[in-house]
Amino acid sequence: MRETRTLRQPLREGVIDVGLGLAALVWLLPYLWMLSTSLKTLPEIVRAPTAPLPSGFELGAYRAVLEAMPLARYFLNTTLMALGIAVLQILVALPAGYALAKLKFAGRGVAFGMVVATLLIPAQVRFVPVFALLADFGLVNSMTALILPFGVSAFGTFLIRQALLSVPDSLIEAARMDGASELRIVYGLLAPMLKPTLVSFFLFSFVYHWNDYFWPLVMTTDDAVRTLPLGIALLREQGTGVRWHIVMAGNVLLSAPALAVFALAQKHLLRAVASKGP
Amino acid sequence: MRPSRRLDPLWMLGPTVALLVLFFFVPLLQAAKSSFYDWDLLTPPRYVGLDNYRALIETGELRHALTTTLTLSVIVVLGSMSLGLALALGLNRPGRFAAFVRSAVFSAYVVSWVSVALLWLWVLDADAGAFTALCRALGIPTTNWLGNPRAALYALAGVTIWKIAGYSMVLFIAGLQDIPRSLYEAASLDGAGAWQRFVNVTWPLLRPTAAFVGTTSLIISFQVFDVVRVMTQGGPVRSTSVFVYAIYEQVFLNLRVGRASALVVVFFVMLLGLTALQLWAWRKKGAA
Amino acid sequence: MKLGRRAFLAAGAAVACSSAGPPPGRKVAPLWFTYGGKNRQVLEALVRSFNQSQGEHWIKPVYQGDYFEGLAKLRTALAARRAPALSHVVGEVVPYLADADVLESLDTYPGARELDVVPALGQAGSWIGGAERRLVALPFNRSTPIAYLNGRIFAEQKLAAPKTWEELRAVAARLTERAAGRVVRYGFGCPIDWWFWAALVGQAGGDVVEADGSVSLGGDAGARALDFWKTLVLEDGNMKPPPGRDYNAWEQTNQDFLASRVAMIWTSTAFLKYLEENAPFPVVAAPLPGATRRAVPTGGTHWVMLRSAPEAEKATAWAFLRFMHETENAVTWATSTGYLPVTRSAVAKLEGDGYYAKHPNDRVALDQLAVARPWPWSRDLFRVQREIVQPRLEGAVLGGRDTRAALDEARALARRWR
Repeated sequence: MRETRTLRQPLREGVIDVGLGLAALVWLLPYLWMLSTSLKTLPEIVRAPTAPLPSGFELGAYRAVLEAMPLARYFLNTTLMALGIAVLQILVALPAGYALAKLKFAGRGVAFGMVVATLLIPAQVRFVPVFALLADFGLVNSMTALILPFGVSAFGTFLIRQALLSVPDSLIEAARMDGASELRIVYGLLAPMLKPTLVSFFLFSFVYHWNDYFWPLVMTTDDAVRTLPLGIALLREQGTGVRWHIVMAGNVLLSAPALAVFALAQKHLLRAVASKGP
Repeated sequence: MRPSRRLDPLWMLGPTVALLVLFFFVPLLQAAKSSFYDWDLLTPPRYVGLDNYRALIETGELRHALTTTLTLSVIVVLGSMSLGLALALGLNRPGRFAAFVRSAVFSAYVVSWVSVALLWLWVLDADAGAFTALCRALGIPTTNWLGNPRAALYALAGVTIWKIAGYSMVLFIAGLQDIPRSLYEAASLDGAGAWQRFVNVTWPLLRPTAAFVGTTSLIISFQVFDVVRVMTQGGPVRSTSVFVYAIYEQVFLNLRVGRASALVVVFFVMLLGLTALQLWAWRKKGAA
Repeated sequence: MKLGRRAFLAAGAAVACSSAGPPPGRKVAPLWFTYGGKNRQVLEALVRSFNQSQGEHWIKPVYQGDYFEGLAKLRTALAARRAPALSHVVGEVVPYLADADVLESLDTYPGARELDVVPALGQAGSWIGGAERRLVALPFNRSTPIAYLNGRIFAEQKLAAPKTWEELRAVAARLTERAAGRVVRYGFGCPIDWWFWAALVGQAGGDVVEADGSVSLGGDAGARALDFWKTLVLEDGNMKPPPGRDYNAWEQTNQDFLASRVAMIWTSTAFLKYLEENAPFPVVAAPLPGATRRAVPTGGTHWVMLRSAPEAEKATAWAFLRFMHETENAVTWATSTGYLPVTRSAVAKLEGDGYYAKHPNDRVALDQLAVARPWPWSRDLFRVQREIVQPRLEGAVLGGRDTRAALDEARALARRWR
């Protein structure tokens, strides 16, 4: 880009760089301080809470977190739940997206409309009746309660439909002529073709539900299927002094998986977000 | 194309439709129905007609939830959009530094709301928090950010902006990259400075993206719950009792399912309006 | 898919069971408990002791957050028909749960009549007419509000614990220190909470809810109580109203006291051991002052068993309840925390051993039981507290709202929207 005011350019760039550096600090420093706090001891925190570096490398807080809750069980519950939801959503959305993209049949508009309509009905609107329904079947506080209500993802269905619209009909017709059933076509032929889309969506849904707090809060009553966000949130105990190092240690453990996924699969996640998902 | 067997769409859409009916549409109707009853989940429901709605209006609870949520939403949307735009403008460039800063900003969007809430609970601690210390060092007057009824909602707004600015940023960057270079070059040749280029080239083409980002941020801000639950529990003096938190409290702390359902119905109607707005904005972006 | 998941879960759960699970053959019952910190540790130690002291039963403690979170979960679980056998709830909500018929009657359990609870702490003394009803609640962590004084500051200033409201106001004024226009130390601090307001109302001669269930909010006494707080906070500026909601505020009060930011606080006797152990100064406990009369509410929670739990679990829960009422264990619980000993034999033992002579602070709450006022058996009590009164207390004291207007509004709401 040609710039006639050559003298202003480096100054402007410098100011922008400083601004960006500040931005990086604003987003990184809190996490670094969280990490640092988690490695301190309580007397240290009382004495010098804002000291940037811990004086020693104390893992006592992490030990306390492990003692205060069945961390491994929560972690497992959360991972299984998120995995179950993401996989179920993909399994359900593939044929649905295919039917909506490629097939002509009576009621297609209605089905499409129904899927769109669910964008209007968030968890906070449906949780009480769903809770009552699950209670009637004794399914509250179970994996079913955590997974099944999320079996359909409107976002996922649309993504798949969108991706399938650009697959030529001839491909499908050829497979049919070869004797492939629609089942085989959907899962065996088209799904592999959609791998980038599916991977992006899977990661997005997995992380989103892994982090979910509201639904597990409402649907679980004890440790059996309690998820990690709930468990860690319980760390802010009342009455006898919040032990910040323990809360922060728990928070490090809670944030690490999401950040790890982000670090490893940034492109995929960004792709899902940028394609106008919620 | 026609389905190879006439009943194929049944199994293809069957699971979807069944799950939607069971977990979306029926619950919506039931929530609407519950709003006309007095029910505590433990004893049989009692029909009360419009009493729940009347109570919400007369006790001022509806108005309070609306104003609290709207105040939060306006601040969050304006804040996260302008911040997101500023970051996008600054970070829409190649290079590892820019990529690093982009990741740093977006990382807040990826972790859970609980994680962000616990983190800021500590950072905003009135006595030992880093933010408080920073303010004191800079000579800015401090208060109990989360304990002062006048400050708490704004503190939560700030935390929310911190978390979702990255989302605005990513979308704005995508929008910026859709703008052809040639338009900038043409403007440059005409002697336009950086600000004029922004006003005459960037902003008009970015408006559809901005509309979309705006409405999405609005919807996200309306559904804020986790930070309230973890950081302030609706207080102090109910100053952070946003809509979803009010619904939760009515159900689980007051056991007034009917009253909560009335709130839910109002909430749903509001979301209808907002989502219509979002779809309109998306259409405009698609068309642009 | 489902089978694979379940197998995974089972394997994972086996691996994850770090906290020792029950040995096979034991009858297991869950105990849902709330509040954390030191008191949690003491409870868990007692549970372990119970589990190891016999070979038939096993109690599995599950932490559920603070009182209100835990109550919310309990009610959810009741609605979902997955309630635990044993939990504990605040006194204000027991009548509601009993009337909703979700609480197990304890009269028929073996040894129920012989439990020898301190009358003021048990069902008979906690609610008006409690003795005539079927037994549904046993005392667990029972407390009264007391005043804690910073021993060093009081000695330096040669002040004694205030016995009347006027004295409190004077002491608070004497002990508040200012520097450069800012308050460096407050003379008095107290959470703006229903419990302490109820204490003030009682002291002013009124009752928050009348025995017949009508919500009077103390009438004139209610207004005087609220005005007293407002005077201390807004007019004199000598009382620090701690920020935050519910137990955030309580916790902040404790921290302020420990850091000498406040010289005298009102909070529960439950924090006695915690404060004594963590204060860098001698802690002196004192009874609350009186106005028209002396009065305190009791607080803490009561054990309740849930009717819908399986019979086997209830039997285990009962065994644990009897364990907790054994003299030794009641003594351990009281002396490790600051809560009141729940059986008369425990009190006798402590007196006989000279414990109170060595720990005069522990006696304060016990002696205050003489002026403890019971709650009415009203199913609206909890709702009135949470929904109607608590937010308005904060509004009046922190927001400066007109006292009578706030209370009139509260009364009207309580009557209109049952």
